[in-house]
Amino acid sequence: MTELDCEQVLQLVWKFLDGEMDETRYLEIQAHVAACAECGPRYQFQRRLLALVELKCREGPVPTELKRRLFRLLEE
Amino acid sequence: MGATVLASQTAPVTADDRERFQALAEEHLDSLFRAALRLTRNRTRAEDLLQETFLRAWRSFHTFKPGTNARAWLYKILMNAYIDGYRKATREPEIVDHEDVDEFYLYTKVQESDDFRRAGDPEEVLLARLMDADVKGALDSLPDAFREVVILADIEGFSYKEIADLLGIPIGTVMSRLHRGRRQLQVKLWEYAKRAHYVSADKPPAGGGGR
Repeated sequence: MTELDCEQVLQLVWKFLDGEMDETRYLEIQAHVAACAECGPRYQFQRRLLALVELKCREGPVPTELKRRLFRLLEE
Repeated sequence: MGATVLASQTAPVTADDRERFQALAEEHLDSLFRAALRLTRNRTRAEDLLQETFLRAWRSFHTFKPGTNARAWLYKILMNAYIDGYRKATREPEIVDHEDVDEFYLYTKVQESDDFRRAGDPEEVLLARLMDADVKGALDSLPDAFREVVILADIEGFSYKEIADLLGIPIGTVMSRLHRGRRQLQVKLWEYAKRAHYVSADKPPAGGGGR
């Protein structure tokens, strides 16, 4: 496999963060990002952005009343 | 074969079935509700969608094979119920990608902004400023086809392949929708961040123009 340059590394940011690539490539990008002043901060930011979306969209548990209503349907 | 299928469908429900289903539902109900809330963007509709999903799952519980992926099975039912009852017939969304929007839109905007740079750690300030309602609002504003994949990937944590199965679309389509959805999400988030910034900054409220 040929070595990736910054442009290629940046294009693969989502696939990398989503864990959607083979291990060799993953490790290669991980090493590049750790050492590169250009890619590193960008990758770091995208990672935090995805974590933010997940965190801010959390919801509480299903309301007790709704849950009770659902489980009552099973008795019918 | 038809007869066996019918027989299994009409087989009397045992207390054991009910108990197994209850345990399964119990485990996944909260996350299904969260997904329903984001999909429908409305609490009442989310409750209806959850109930529809719950009933469909119970009716087809005999088709569930123990030991297989229960979460994927339940989400498939959720997405089908959502598509049948809540989503407008969607064609492939119109391409509204802006030329200047890339994967790093938000990062670049923050870096370019004098106001944010003055704050010291601009990225930290930006992310801290975005409230729950901002992120939910930004997500809600996306076209359905983008919104669905972003919800399934970024909130529910499904893989590209799983999302392809859940929505019945090719994996390449999942990727392009997800990536475009995330780009549009950043554009929206930037709008919210700027708004929040001007509210908190020492500037006179609207009326003076401020330019």
